Amino acid sequence: MALRTLTLLVLLAVPVAGAGATPSSSATERLYRQGVLPSGRLLSGDREGMMVEGATAACATCHRRSGLGSWEGQTVIPPIIGRYLFRPGARNVEDVDLPHVQGYVPRRDAYTDATLARAIRDGVDQQGRKLSYLMPRYKLDDPTMASLITYLKALTSGAVPGVEAETLHFATVITPDADPVAREGMLGVLRQFFADKNAGYRGSTPPMRSTRGVMYRVDRKWQLHVWELSGPPDTWESQLEERLAATPVFAVISGLGGATWAPVHHFCEREAVPCLLPNVDLPVSAEQDFYPVYFSRGVLLEANLIARQLREDQAHLRLRRVVQLYREGDVGQEAARTLGASAPGLEVVTRPFKGGDLKTELSASLLDTRADDAIVLWLRPAELAALPSPPASAAVYVSGLMGKLEYSPLPPTWRGLARLTYPFDLPEQRRVRMDFPLGWFKVRNVRVVDERVQTDTYLACVILSETLGHMLDSFVRDYLVERVEVLLSHRLVNGYYPRLGLAPGQRFASKGGYLVHFASADGRRLAADSGWIVP
Amino acid sequence: MPASRSRSEALVLLVALALPSVSLGSEPRVQNHLEARAMKRATRSSLDVALPEVDLVRDDGRVVSLPDELNDGAPVVLTFIFTKCGTICPVMSQTFGRLQSTLAGGRTKAHLVSISIDPEYDTPARLAEYGKGVGAGLQWHFYTGTVEATQAAQRAFATFRGDKMNHTPVTFLRAGLGSRWERIDGFASSDELAGELHQLLVVR
Repeated sequence: MALRTLTLLVLLAVPVAGAGATPSSSATERLYRQGVLPSGRLLSGDREGMMVEGATAACATCHRRSGLGSWEGQTVIPPIIGRYLFRPGARNVEDVDLPHVQGYVPRRDAYTDATLARAIRDGVDQQGRKLSYLMPRYKLDDPTMASLITYLKALTSGAVPGVEAETLHFATVITPDADPVAREGMLGVLRQFFADKNAGYRGSTPPMRSTRGVMYRVDRKWQLHVWELSGPPDTWESQLEERLAATPVFAVISGLGGATWAPVHHFCEREAVPCLLPNVDLPVSAEQDFYPVYFSRGVLLEANLIARQLREDQAHLRLRRVVQLYREGDVGQEAARTLGASAPGLEVVTRPFKGGDLKTELSASLLDTRADDAIVLWLRPAELAALPSPPASAAVYVSGLMGKLEYSPLPPTWRGLARLTYPFDLPEQRRVRMDFPLGWFKVRNVRVVDERVQTDTYLACVILSETLGHMLDSFVRDYLVERVEVLLSHRLVNGYYPRLGLAPGQRFASKGGYLVHFASADGRRLAADSGWIVP
Repeated sequence: MPASRSRSEALVLLVALALPSVSLGSEPRVQNHLEARAMKRATRSSLDVALPEVDLVRDDGRVVSLPDELNDGAPVVLTFIFTKCGTICPVMSQTFGRLQSTLAGGRTKAHLVSISIDPEYDTPARLAEYGKGVGAGLQWHFYTGTVEATQAAQRAFATFRGDKMNHTPVTFLRAGLGSRWERIDGFASSDELAGELHQLLVVR
């Protein structure tokens, strides 16, 4: 009996079985980010009898990947990186290398390994006070606890590439097949914005501090690096890696692509470089990836909008078949595939053309069109302009994004029939908001050659600038992404978009669009066929 | 806009710095008309809600009118959540899950209502998936809709704070048609919520 009690006590003292080897750093990262124990079992935490498990219980869910904490409403989630926990809070934030974040609590003692383990296991802080109810209590065995503490000590503590004492380095990426006019427009905006930013640089003066101990923003110069890629897409990733190794950058701001963006996306994710991407027509749909952030799903969103409309129109227009036209290798190819996969009950045929004599090829593509067909055009302006007279079909849907929206050179005979996807706010409704970028272009003498690309680029720069302002001097890559997630939906003035918003696990900021038609056979005036649709 | 926001953020930051605890707690306590027992981490108040005539989309894809959905006579327990919310909503939804079990054991047939404050991301399909994850049964539904409609719902319950990231934990209870709503700010436990609901039904 006595022996049994003793065994029981021993068991209680060793919280979880599996003690032994120290978990690897990748296993600890998995624990921290995904709530998976080194044993492969799910991490579980106890919130006064309510158990949380797995990803919900993971440290990163609240304290974020950077460990710099966050806040939700009035709930402040403090930082948990070692540089913060293991030294006492400073009244006047004398630790200038310590990221200054919202959850920073001055006047506190330093944690030790033992008191931190106690906090995680028993919910008692370094000064003996009970931690918030929101912080679960975790039964971790000693090796796992030790590896977690080691992980926290190293988390967000190294030098950040692309951040120098007086300069922040950024890159923009241009693929060889990017539209040359859009390229000039985008670079014009970026260069002007960076020049403006640097015109306000105060020089290497010591950071200003208020008597309350809150440090004001430390201004640094912004330097732009233009990374122009060359050759085939399968060489882009290594080209980008070489560029990054030669010139480390803190983040990628904007970029222009053509048929594929996947190599750039994978570069951002693999190299852990935040990429704020306003101008990508065909992004990679992988919202579990952390670093690439897009304004919109582009043509994939358009495919979903058309698919939704097809489901609505199918019965009353007696649709039987969908005929999709796109140029081989252009972004329309992937859009057509996405639409094809989400048009149940309809026969889907695709008519890729190679781009010889446009008129001949487009005519051939439409030759067997029937009255129960819906035609979907994934065409660029020059291709739209080359369309033959419209065949007898039940409905025509056109990618607004690829065809240049209201500037689309759709022939007059098609204008009465076509419905355009419009994944932006309508021209009339965005008019006042557009005063901001258009006014800025005017006073800065930025030539407007592609209004949408330039407006989006300007907006991305403003968002970057605002977010860095909120980050004070905490130039940490993960934290930049986390701050954009939190702050983006606060914005009211968003150029072409009615609103932008992100959250952890959301990587497309604008989520809907309209279906519109031209109000007349000539001119640019549009009429909406629907309200804002989120497909 | 940006300037005023950063100023108010700085102010909140100062407040946060002044407090030793990691959580700032909830709204100021409002005197309760029921004089019921105090809750551990929440405060209560009561209010009349003029339900706006808006349509929402339920997690099963059906378009429903908000007033019709709430006014069928059954007691209602309502909250606002979003599926990609990291800290507050998982606690609220877990509490609702427990409340659902507690109520299932008794005779009270209450509606549990979770309305998304991130409606453009929270499609009916995503809400259904989320509901499955938190064990939602037949009495518990999740709602989305247009930004305008879901904001109208938030405004009616005085929870609209301009942006989803500003939200706070809040639950509303109503015994039935014609009753006032009880508002609970903070993290009430499922037992506390069940107790509150019971109390409301008794008083009624």
